[in-house]
Amino acid sequence: MVPIEYYLLLSAAVFCIGVFGILTRKNALLFLMSVELLLNAANINLVAFSRFHGNLTGQTFSLFTLALAAAEVAIGIGIILVLYRNFADVDVTKATTMRW
Amino acid sequence: MAYQLPGWAALAPTLTFVAAALVLFLIDSIDPDSENRALLAGTATVGSLVAAGFAAWFLIAGTGEEPFTLYADSLVVDSMSLFFAFVFASVTAMVVVASYDYMRDHSYQGEYYALVMLAATGMTLMPAANSLAVVFISLELASLPSYALVAILKKNRGSVEAGLKYFLIGALSSSILAYGISLVYGVSGTLLLPEIASAVEIEGLTGVLGIGVLMILGGFAFKTASVPFHFWAPEAYEGAPAPISAFLSSASKAAGFAVAFRVFTVAFPVEAYVATIDWVLAVQILAVVTMTLGNFAAATQDTVKRMLAYSSVGHAGYALIALASLTGTGSDQFVLGGGMAHLLVYGFMNTGAFLFVALAEYWSVGRTFEDYNGLAKQAPFACAAMTLFMFNLAGLPVGAGFMSKYFLFAGAVGAGFWWLTAVGAINSALSLYYYSRVVKAMWIEEPTQEFAIESKPVGLYAAIAAAAVVTVLLLPGFGPVWAFAQDAAAALV
Repeated sequence: MVPIEYYLLLSAAVFCIGVFGILTRKNALLFLMSVELLLNAANINLVAFSRFHGNLTGQTFSLFTLALAAAEVAIGIGIILVLYRNFADVDVTKATTMRW
Repeated sequence: MAYQLPGWAALAPTLTFVAAALVLFLIDSIDPDSENRALLAGTATVGSLVAAGFAAWFLIAGTGEEPFTLYADSLVVDSMSLFFAFVFASVTAMVVVASYDYMRDHSYQGEYYALVMLAATGMTLMPAANSLAVVFISLELASLPSYALVAILKKNRGSVEAGLKYFLIGALSSSILAYGISLVYGVSGTLLLPEIASAVEIEGLTGVLGIGVLMILGGFAFKTASVPFHFWAPEAYEGAPAPISAFLSSASKAAGFAVAFRVFTVAFPVEAYVATIDWVLAVQILAVVTMTLGNFAAATQDTVKRMLAYSSVGHAGYALIALASLTGTGSDQFVLGGGMAHLLVYGFMNTGAFLFVALAEYWSVGRTFEDYNGLAKQAPFACAAMTLFMFNLAGLPVGAGFMSKYFLFAGAVGAGFWWLTAVGAINSALSLYYYSRVVKAMWIEEPTQEFAIESKPVGLYAAIAAAAVVTVLLLPGFGPVWAFAQDAAAALV
C-alpha cells in the first residue's frame, strides 16, 4: 500500500498549483479551473484519509464536495456570462467600475 | 406532553424556508412572466414570518433546552440554533418586504424571492450543523444563491462586477475551507464536531491539524467579511441591490459567526488546543485588524453605501471579540452571549440602515453624503429612523445597539482581555465621526438638489419602521434578549 504521506504530498501539490493559477491568471474561466483543482486537492485528501482511517465518512463527503463543485461552476459560468455581456471580456481585472 | 412531535419538526424554521422556496418555484413555473409582485413577495414574507414564529415559539417553549440531534448526529437543534434562526428569519422578512418596492421593475421576480428563501434555508442550517460536512454544505447553500442575488441586475455593470468579485473570493475561500476540513478529518478520522474534540486529544499530528484549523478559520472569515477575506464586502455591498446588501451584511454575517461559534467551541475547545494550536491568538489578531481596518476605511468613504459596507466590516471585528475572548473558563458564556446578542441587535439596526439606502436609491437621490443634504425636510420619518440606526451602530444609548455592545465589551473585560475592549472602544468613538456625517447631511445641510420624491413606497417604509421600532424597543426589552443569548451560549460551553 502506498503510504499516506504520498497522498498528502500529491494533494498539497495540486492545491499549490490551484493557488498559483488563481494568483497569476486573469481569465475568469482559468480561475474556475483553478478552484476545481483546489476542491479536488481536498477530495484526494478525503479519500486517502478515509482509507487510512478505515471508515467511509471521507469518501461520502468527497461525493458531496464533487456535487458542490458542479453547482459552483454552474453559478460561476452564469456570472462569467453576464460579465462578458457587460464588459465584452472575461478578464477579471477589467471589471473595475468601483474603486477599491 | 401527551403527543410527541417527530424529531424533524424541530427543524421547522428551516423547513418553512424550503417550502416557501418551492411554492415560489411552483408559482413561477405556472406563470413565468408573472407581474403579480404582491403574490410573490407575499409568499416570501409569509414564509419568513412563519419561520420566525416557529423559532420564537420553540425558544419560548424551551424546545432547545435539551439539544435534539438528528440524522446520525449531523444536525443539532438547541437554543443556540433557534436563536440564530430567529435572527435570520426576521432579517429575511424585512428584506423581502422592502424588495417589493425596490425590485419593482425587475423581470425575474419569482427567481429573486426563491433565491432569497434558499439562501435563508442555508443560513438557518448553519448554526445547527454538528458535523463539518453539514457546515460545508450549509455554508455553500447560503453562498451560492447569494452570488446570484448580488449579480441579479444583469444589465447593471456594478451589480455584475460585485457578483463576480463576491463569487471569485467565495469560491476560493470555500475551497480553502474544504481543504481545511479534509486535514482535520485526516487527523481525527471523523467529521462530527464533538468527536473531533475527543479524537484530537489522543492524536499527535499537531502541524497538520493546526493548518487545518487555520484554513477553517479562513473559510469563516469570508462568510463574516473579516480580514483577510473581507475584500469582497465593500464591492458586493455597493454593487448589489440594496436589500440584498442588507441581507448579506446582517443575516449572512451572523450565519458565519453562528457556525464559527459552534465549530470553535465544540470541535476545537480552547483548553484542549492551547498546546497544539493557539487559534485564539489568531482570532485576536484578526479582531483587532478587522475593527481598525473597517472603521478607518469607512471614515474615508464618499458614498454612504460603501461607508456602511466598511462599517459592517468593522462590526465583524466587534463580533470577533466574542470568539477572541474565549479562555475555556467560566467567563466564556458571558462573552459568547454578548456576541450573540450583538448579532441580533445588529441584524435589525444594520438592515434598517441599508434599507434606508435602498429607499434613497428608489428615489434616485444619489449615492454620496452630499446627495443626502437636506433630505430630512422631504422625508422626516425615514431620516429620523436612519438617524436612529446610525447612532445605534455607533453605540450611543438611544437603542439596543448600546446595550449589546456594552455587554460584549464587558464580557471581554471579564475574560481578562481589557485591551481588546480598549481597541473596540477607540474604534467605536471613531465610528461616531462617519455615522454622524450622514446625520449632519440629512438634518443640518442645505439641499444641493431638487428631490423628485413622488411617492412613499409602503413596503420600504414598513420594513424601515419595523427595524427602527425593534431597535428601540430592545433597549427596555434587553432583559429577555440577554436571557435567550445566555441560554444559547450555555448550549455551547
